[in-house]
Parts: sequence; C-alpha cells; structure tokens
Amino acid sequence: MTSVDFLNRTFRHWSLLPAVVLFVLLTIYPVANLFRMSVSTIEFTSGGEIWTFAPLTNLALLRADEVVRPAVINTLLFVVVAVAFEMMLGLALAILVAGVAHGKGLVRTVMILPILVPPVAIGSMWKLLYNYDFGIFNQALTALGLPPANWLGSTSLALWSVVVVDVWHWVPFVFLILLAAVEGLPVEALEAARVDGATRWQLFSWVMLPLLRPALVVALVFRTILAFKVFDEVYLLTSGGPGTSTELVSLHLYKVFFDQNQLGYGALLSLALIAAIVAFLLVGGRTLQAART
Amino acid sequence: MIRNPKLTRIWLAAAALVFAECAFAQKPFVDVGKQPPLTILTASTPWYPAFEKVVGTYEQQTGNKIKLDAVPFGGVLEKARNAVRSGQSPYDLMMLDTQWTIEFYEGGFVTPLKDIDPAFDLPKEVMSYGDSGYWNAQKRWRTADGGKLMAYTVLGNVQLFYYRADLLKQAGIAPPKTWDEVLAACAKLTDPPKTYGFVARGERGNGIRYDWMSVMLAQRASVVKDPAAGDYTVTINSPQAKAALDLYTDLLKRCGPANYGSLGQGDVIQLLATGKAAQGDVVTAAFASFEDPNKSAVAGKLETVPLPRGRDGAGGAVIGNWNAVIPKNLSDAQKKAALAFSRWFLTYDAQHAFAEAGGIPNRSDVFTSALAREPRFRWMPAYLETQKFAQQELGYAEGAQAEQILGLRLNQALIGEMSSARALNTAARELEELFRKSGRKTGSLPSLPE
Repeated sequence: MTSVDFLNRTFRHWSLLPAVVLFVLLTIYPVANLFRMSVSTIEFTSGGEIWTFAPLTNLALLRADEVVRPAVINTLLFVVVAVAFEMMLGLALAILVAGVAHGKGLVRTVMILPILVPPVAIGSMWKLLYNYDFGIFNQALTALGLPPANWLGSTSLALWSVVVVDVWHWVPFVFLILLAAVEGLPVEALEAARVDGATRWQLFSWVMLPLLRPALVVALVFRTILAFKVFDEVYLLTSGGPGTSTELVSLHLYKVFFDQNQLGYGALLSLALIAAIVAFLLVGGRTLQAART
Repeated sequence: MIRNPKLTRIWLAAAALVFAECAFAQKPFVDVGKQPPLTILTASTPWYPAFEKVVGTYEQQTGNKIKLDAVPFGGVLEKARNAVRSGQSPYDLMMLDTQWTIEFYEGGFVTPLKDIDPAFDLPKEVMSYGDSGYWNAQKRWRTADGGKLMAYTVLGNVQLFYYRADLLKQAGIAPPKTWDEVLAACAKLTDPPKTYGFVARGERGNGIRYDWMSVMLAQRASVVKDPAAGDYTVTINSPQAKAALDLYTDLLKRCGPANYGSLGQGDVIQLLATGKAAQGDVVTAAFASFEDPNKSAVAGKLETVPLPRGRDGAGGAVIGNWNAVIPKNLSDAQKKAALAFSRWFLTYDAQHAFAEAGGIPNRSDVFTSALAREPRFRWMPAYLETQKFAQQELGYAEGAQAEQILGLRLNQALIGEMSSARALNTAARELEELFRKSGRKTGSLPSLPE
C-alpha cells in the first residue's frame, strides 16, 4: 500500500476530527465535569475554590433532602398533565386550522404569538391575571357572583394554575409541528376512507392518527424534554410555593445551586434530572413501540 | 481677534458659564484627587435612582468616571460570585445584600478596607447596622470586636410599621405599639375585599422568614442560642417562637387577603399603595413610592411607627442592609479609587444629597438635620427608633441554607400544611443537622408537643 493510498483511506476518519473535538468540548467535557462535581464537595475559601472527593456526602444530602420527593411528584404531574393537554389541544387546533379555506396565514400567525412572548413577560402577565385582588379572572368570577379563587396561593390550585400557563405557552409549538403534518397528509388515503363510508371519528382514529404518528412523536418528545426542564414560569409565578405545592425539580436545582451554593449536591441533582428524562423517554419510546406492534 | 461686540458678549458669557461650572466642579464634598474610572455592581432596587443621582454628583464634582451596572436582585449575587472567582474582577465596588456578605468575607474574596489604606476609618456618625461590615475570622462572626472592616453600609433597610392615619382615626384606634394591639386593630379594620386590616409577606422563602423574624424577636425568641460565642444550639422550637408563629399566622389569616400564603413584597406594597390595606409591615425604602401620587392612591395618608413590640415590651426588627465591598482580585490603583469614592460617599454632604434624592442615609447626623423635619422625611424618627433594637439575623456561613429551611417550614405552618409546633420542630431538626455537618457546636431544645 502506497502512502497516497494510506492517506486516502484515513483522510475521511481524520476529517471528522474537528467535529469530534467540538463535540467533546461542548458536550462530553461539561457532562464529565458535572459528574466530577457530583462526587465532590466544593468550597470557596482563601480566595479560591477547594474540591474534595466525597461522593457519599452528596448522596447523604440527597437522602436527607425532604423537598426532593414533592419536587419529583410535582414534576411528574406537571409533565404528564401539561404535555397531554398541549398534545390534545395542539392536534385539535392543527386539524381545525388545516380545514380553514381563507386567512390561514393570519390564523397561524395569531396562534403562534404565545411562543414569541419572552418567558419573563409571560410570568409577569399571568401573575397579574391571577392576582387575587386585581386580576381579571377574579374580577370575572366576582362579576358572575362567584367567590374569587386563590389561583396562586392555594396548595390545591397553584400547580394547575402554572400548568394552564404552560399549556397556553406551548400549545402553539405542538400546533405548528402538527399543522405541517396534517397539511401533508395524503389526500388519496383520506378520500378512500370517506368513499369506504368511514365516519369522522373512524377517519380520525384509523387513518389520520396513524399517519400523523411520526409528527406526534416528535412533538411529544420535544415537549416532554422541555416540560421536565420548566423553570421560568414556576419561578416567576410561585417560586415553588405555597409550601412545596409547586416545587419542581428544576426549581429546586436552582435553589440548591444558586441560593444555597451547594455545587456538588446541585450537580448530583442535575445528573439525576438528566437520567430521569432519558429514562422517561426510553420507557415512553418502548411503550409506543409495543403499542404499534 | 473678535471684532463683533455682540459676539464678544456671547463669548464672555460662555466663558463665565464654563468658569462657574469649573468652580463648582472644583468643590467636591471631600478632595479625592484624580482617580481611574470605576465600575460598580448594584441592584435595580427602589433606592437605585437615588444612588445613581449621587454618583452623578460625584462625577460632576471630581471629574472621575463611574459606570454603574444595575441588575435585578437575584442577578447581583451571581454576578458578584463570578467576579470574585475570576482572574480579575470586572467590578471595583460591589453592593451586596447583607445576607450574602458572609460567603465573601469568609471565602477571602474581598479586601479589608484598612489593607487598602491603613488610615481609613468609618466616620463615627455612620451607623453600625449590627456590625455587618466587620468580620472576625477567628470567631467566624460579624463583629467590630476583633473584626476587620470589610464593608460599609450603602443602604440600611429596616421594616417599619405603616398605617393609614385616616382610617385608624376614623375607627378611634391609636397607632399600635404591640403586636397584640395590631391584631386587635386589624380585626376592627378588616372588611374584605374592600379593606384588609394588616398585610405582611407570607410567601415561602426570604419573604416570610424576614417578616416573621420581627415578631419572633419581639417575643424574645431566637434561631440559635448564641452564635456570636460559637453556640449554635438551635432554639427555634421554643414556646416563644411558637407563640410568635401562631400570632403571625393569626394576623395574616384573620386580617390579610385569602392569598396570604403567597404574598410577596410587591403584593404588600401594592395593597398598601392602592388603599386596600389599612396596616402593613414594609421596608423603609418603600416610603418614597407611597408618597408619589403617580404610584400611590394614598399619598400623604400613610404614617410610620417603629415595628410593634412583644408581650413583655421587647422590640424586634431585622436589618436588611446593602453593603459595599471591594473585591480582592483588583489592582491596587482600582482598590484605591474604590476607597476614594467610598470616602466621598460617606461624607455628611453626600449622605444628605442621597437622602434628598430618595435614599436612606447611613449617617445619624443626617437624621438629626433640618431634613428630618420636612414632611416627606417623616419616616425618619420611626427609622431611628427602630435602629435601637434592630439586629442582624442568620449572620453565619450557613445563613442561606438556614433561610431555605425556615422559609419553607414557616410557610407550611402559615398555610396549614403543618401545625406551628411541627413546623418549628422540623426546622429545628434540619437546622441542627446543618450545623452538625458544618462542625459547629450544636444541639436543640426538647421538641414542642405536636
């Protein structure tokens, strides 16, 4: 083998090197560093930082942390309920808008406005809407002769109030993905089903849903990942209260990292969150696969 | 040569103006000399416009330049941490909430002021605010006794008791002097949703922890036994603390709005400013906004008195001040420039100007000046009186974690998720564990009956 042959053969491998280096720098290194932090305690003293290898310390903190349990439960509730509503409403709106004959562009533009609003503005806006004394919701209830609701101050209502905001914020995202898929459905298949006498429900459940499955899975995966990581809405609306009723894992993580300055324990919680998302998606993916077969 | 007499007059007038401005600029409150430009990290708080105005005066008087980086409250700590943990701090002076300062003092991230200039001393008129600017490394405690001067207070906030003079007069009620009188008065004044008799923060975290502690101190309760002497025996589950928590819960439940468990500072200020609340417990810095007719429906109607006392006459108030620190990772020239500004800022004239601009001065002589007799500064006597018994709380390295524990458990008791006894017992257990892990001498009181 000549040296030219060798170079030709190995060039394609070496040409990947810049991408590999970039990947290592941007992904592997931060995760590895996070892992290193999670098995250490980090103290800032004498004008510098001191790392001590102490994996059991952070595990002991995790075991003793009484806020983790409600945070995990709330996060799961939040993800399941918010994503379910977003998927259902997004799909319903996509089918409705796809059937609009005129002004579809305008309707689409109006529909996606919530995802264009900055999260801080969303938090402030909804906090005003939910305000017990001055908010529009309670003013409407009072006008109807009903008592005002304690939207953000009641332990039984606060989490669902945050879910409503998240649904309002992210339905347009699901809608956009599914609208493109609905508009791309093969007309022949739908027509054939109609000719065969399929009812609207049969057309939807037996023809449209199976054809939309790839787009639905994409929307579901994206929304699930983002819902697990939700922070801004809950931070701005309730900061986890009252009590632990709206404490979510990402918010607790923020408090551990930034309020309590416990970097090692915070890193352990971060890894746990990443693992939970991956596990949730794997289990979800396998369940969907099993349902399909 | 200028031949036109009209033009000559204009030139002369312009020259006179420039001369006058130079003459004014050459009269600083104190001569600090020519200094390199400074960058100051500060929070966009209600007092920021006043600080910005005073900084403008400094620039005008001295010709020295200052760049202000005003960020929202939560962002200040992160920016400050990043600044001191980097090679060279981008900030020459940083305003820190007193709660955060321990981390910086103990971590060795700030320069003791006398290390920059051994002759530097705080003027005797500058109030001590519980020695929050001093750090005794051996005792691990903020005290001037054996401690080094690490910072000075830029703004000393304490809570004041605000009340609607017109409503109280109408109801024949005198301004309350004790928390029991507040409860009695608020029961009479409450007429929801038109009027709430009393409002204070109930939201989880710093809000309830800070506001409740005034009642706690007035009941002679404490979080730990004697942290100044290194005794971290947890005392938060004392009968006195329980009485304070029951009283606070009673006050908010009976006299506040239904969302008392999530009321934050903004909500409390809003309820007072809109005239919906008859009495409230709010920081001094909010007074200026209550007097502004553009922001308040009750301008001129809210009066202040020191926070009410406990059942045996003890006063209780927590100081929540902002301290200025000079990072360690700065060049000597920048440190000296930061100290030069500090020296100027601590003069009587600068503090007088700060007060006039809407800030809270840190010098006692400004409080006894003619300014205090102006109606818009009528909060000053209550503030000075409160300073006599106000104190720093959670002034130890574990303060941030202690606040998280207390902020959650107090809120859970307030909203009824736990009884007050169980909440305090739980907090005591968690605090003891926290101090034990830090190697402190600790323990706790016997549990309260649940």
